[in-house]
Amino acid sequence: MPVQYEEIKSVKKAPEEEFYLPGHRTCAGCGPAVGYRLIAKAAGRNTIFLGPTGCMYVANTSYACGPWKVPWTHTQITNGGAVASGVEVAFKQLIKKGKIKDEFPNIIVMAGDGGSIDIGVQAASALFYRGHDVLFIMYDNESYANTGIQVSPMTPYGGNTTFTPPGPMIPEGKKLFPKDPMLIFAGGGHPAVKYAATASIAYPVDLMNKVRKGLAFEGPAFLHVHCPCPKGWTYPAERTIDLAKLAVQTGMWFLYELEDGVRTWSRKVDKLRPVEDYLLGQGRFTHLEPEHVAKLQAWVNERAQVLGLNATLPPVR
Amino acid sequence: MPKKSYPEVPFAAIVPCPTVENDKMVTGNWRSLRPVVDMEACTSCKTCWLMCPDASVNFDEAEGISFNLKYCKGCGICSSVCPVEAIRRVPELDFTD
Amino acid sequence: MTTKKRATGLTAVCDAWQLVDIDVTASYPIRPYTAVFADLAKRIANGQMKCEMVFAEGEHGQFSIAHGASMAGARATTGSSGVGLTYAAEVYSPIAGGRCPIQVLVGDRTLDPPGDFGSEHTDCLTMRDNGWIFGWAQDAQEALDNSLMCFRIGEDPDIMLPQIVAMDGYFVTHITQDYEVPDQDLVDRFLPPFKPKFRLDVNNPVIMGPQITPEMGPPLEWDRNVVMQRAKGKIVEVTEEFGSVFGRHYAPFVEEYMTEGAEMVFLLQGAHAVTCKSAVKYLREAGYPVGMLRLRWVRPFPEEALQAIAAKFKVIGVIDTGTSYGAAGGGGVLLVETRASLSETPDKPIIQGFTSGLGGEVITHDEFFRMAEMMRKTIEAGQLVQSSTWVNFNDYV
Repeated sequence: MPVQYEEIKSVKKAPEEEFYLPGHRTCAGCGPAVGYRLIAKAAGRNTIFLGPTGCMYVANTSYACGPWKVPWTHTQITNGGAVASGVEVAFKQLIKKGKIKDEFPNIIVMAGDGGSIDIGVQAASALFYRGHDVLFIMYDNESYANTGIQVSPMTPYGGNTTFTPPGPMIPEGKKLFPKDPMLIFAGGGHPAVKYAATASIAYPVDLMNKVRKGLAFEGPAFLHVHCPCPKGWTYPAERTIDLAKLAVQTGMWFLYELEDGVRTWSRKVDKLRPVEDYLLGQGRFTHLEPEHVAKLQAWVNERAQVLGLNATLPPVR
Repeated sequence: MPKKSYPEVPFAAIVPCPTVENDKMVTGNWRSLRPVVDMEACTSCKTCWLMCPDASVNFDEAEGISFNLKYCKGCGICSSVCPVEAIRRVPELDFTD
Repeated sequence: MTTKKRATGLTAVCDAWQLVDIDVTASYPIRPYTAVFADLAKRIANGQMKCEMVFAEGEHGQFSIAHGASMAGARATTGSSGVGLTYAAEVYSPIAGGRCPIQVLVGDRTLDPPGDFGSEHTDCLTMRDNGWIFGWAQDAQEALDNSLMCFRIGEDPDIMLPQIVAMDGYFVTHITQDYEVPDQDLVDRFLPPFKPKFRLDVNNPVIMGPQITPEMGPPLEWDRNVVMQRAKGKIVEVTEEFGSVFGRHYAPFVEEYMTEGAEMVFLLQGAHAVTCKSAVKYLREAGYPVGMLRLRWVRPFPEEALQAIAAKFKVIGVIDTGTSYGAAGGGGVLLVETRASLSETPDKPIIQGFTSGLGGEVITHDEFFRMAEMMRKTIEAGQLVQSSTWVNFNDYV
C-alpha cells in the first residue's frame, strides 16, 4: 500500500509559502541553506525542527535569532536523534493523555555530517532502532564546515581539508573513503526504517517530494541530502547547484530511494560522466594527481556496480 | 567609572520565530554583484525563485521576478540556474542606491 | 490514603514518579540504580503508570531524551549511577541553562577505575557546577519525599531547574525499608501539572537555544545564578508546605541531631547518617559532647544555614564519602564547600576533614568513635591537628 502524500508536481507548482525566511548568516551560495529552504517548504507549518550544532545551527542563529517560521530547537551535535526521540514520545504521550490538544507534528532533525554519522551516529542509530516517527535528515557538505572545514567521515577520498592537507607524505590529502549512511541506517540493519533516500539540491522537486514521502511514512525515515559548500570545497558561490548536478552526473552522488530494502533510482542515468568533470573547479581537489583521480573513478565505478546502477561507466585511466 | 551594562536577554535565550523575515541578520550589504533580470527574456519558470538560499527572489504573476535587495547576498545562484540567462550580475558600485 | 510499604529507595522514587504521573522517562542499565526501571517497566506493562519508557542508547542519550521531552512540555525523568553520570556530562549545562526541569534519580556509585559497584558520592558531586539542584536522601522515605519536593521546587515558574534526587548505592537503593506512600489526592494538591513557560508548539513558534553574541552570555549566566540563589528561599517554602500537607517535617537544609551542648559535630550527607546517629548516641553516653549535622542539599549549598549554627561548635568533622583529588585541604568536596561557607564567619569552629565510606564500605561505629577521638584531640590542641584524614589510612589516633 503506497504511502499517501501531496506530491509537488514541478518547480512552478512548488508551494509558495516560506518557512525558512530571508535573514541568516550562512555563506553566500550555501548549499545546506538551499536544502533547508526546500525541506521547510515541503514540510510546511506543522513542523518542529531540531538543529544539532553545525553550520545550520551557528550560521542560522547568529545572533540570538533565526530564520525559521516554525518551532526550532538546538541540540548538541551528539544527540539530535536522542532529543528528537524525546520530543516525539512527549507529543505522543501528551496527546494520548489529553494534556495538549496539538496535532502530532512533523519532527525533523537537520543534522550535518558529524551530527548524523560521526559524533551523532549513536543517537541517530538508536532513533532508527526504536522506530520513532521522526524524519532524520543529513545535510551533507562533506566536512565539519562550521568549525572551519575539517575532515569528516563524508569527506571524499582526496578531499583537502584543514585536517587533511596534501603534502609529500600524503599527496592525496585524504586517504580514507567515506562512510555510506544509507547502507548504515537503511541497509537492513535498522528494521524499523522503512524509507530512506538520497537527494540533491540540484533536483529540488525530487528532494521536496522525498521529504513529504519520508514524513508520510509511519516511523523513522532517513534522507541523505547532498549540499555543496562554496567555502569548504573552494569554488565560486554561483556554482553550487551546477556542482550538485555534476555530482549526480558523475556518480560522485547517487540518487535513489530505499523502500523496504528495495532500491528505486530517482533519475535515468545511461552513462556516467568521468569524475574529472566534477573535480574540476573545486579547490579541494586541485592537488590530485592522475593516479588519485583514477582511484576515485575506480571507487565510483565499483559503487555503481554494487548499488546496481545500469549505466556505462567511464574507464579508469 | 560606571559598571558595564549588558543587553536584556530573554528567558533561557528563547526567542520568537520570525514571520516574514529575520531582520536581526540583514545581509544585503554582503553583496558586491547585484542580480538584474531581463523580464523580456524571462520565461517565468521560477527556478531562480526556488533555488535562492536566502528566499530573496520574489515572483509575482503580474510583476514577474524581482529581488529582495535587503537580504540578497549576491551569490549568483539565480543567475547560474536560469535556463535562458535572463539574470545578469552587475557590480554594486554601478548603482546609486 | 497513605499506604505502608516495605521496599527499597528505588521503589520509593518509582512510587513518587507514579504519583506525579510522569509522561516520559528514559532507561539504561548500570548498577546500582537499574531496578528502578525494571520496576517502572512492570508498572507500565500492568497499566499502573501511563508513561513511556524509552530504551536509551546510553546515559548521554537518556538525559537527551528527557531534555527533548521536557522541551515538548512533558514531565520527564531519568536516572543513572557512577560513570553513567559522567558519560552524560555534556548535557547537564544545556539542560539547566535551557531551564528544563527534568528529574534525575541517582543511585550513587564509585567512579572507575577500577570497576567497583560500591557507593560513593563523587559521581554526582563531579557534576555540581552545572546549575542543577540536588541533595542526598538518607533512606527510602526521604527519597520519595525529596522526589516530590524536587518536582515542586524545580517546576515552580519562579525556578524551572532540573533536579537530582540522590541516594547511596546499595544502602538506600537495595536495602528494604519501611516507608509510607502518600495519598494521591495530597500529591495532586501539593504538585500542580507541569506548565512550562515555553514549549515546542507550532501554534506559538519559538527558537530555543540560538547562537548568541558574546555580551549576551554573562547576563544569561547571571540569570542562572539568580535563580539558583532564589531556589534557597523556594526550598524553605516548599519544605514547610510539604510538612503541612504530608505531616513529615524536614529541616530545609541541615538536619541537626543531638547538637545541644555539642562541642564537636559530624557533618555528612546520605545514608551514613543513620549509622552516625547511632554512633553519636553511644559517644554521648561515653561522655563525648558530639552531635551530627546532615546536609539535605549540596546545590544550592546551604552556607547561610551553616553560618547560622556554626559558632555553637568548636570543631566540625566533615565526612566526605568521595574524592576530589588535589582539592584544597586534601579531602573531598564537602570539606571544601564547608570551609568556604564558614571562612568569614566570626567565631567559626575548626573544620577538619574525614574521608570515609569509600568503595561502598560501611562507616562503622568503630570508625565514628575514632573520628570523634580525633576531633577531641583537635579541641585539646585548640587548632587543626590534621587538615584531612582518610580514615584507616592516615589516622592520627
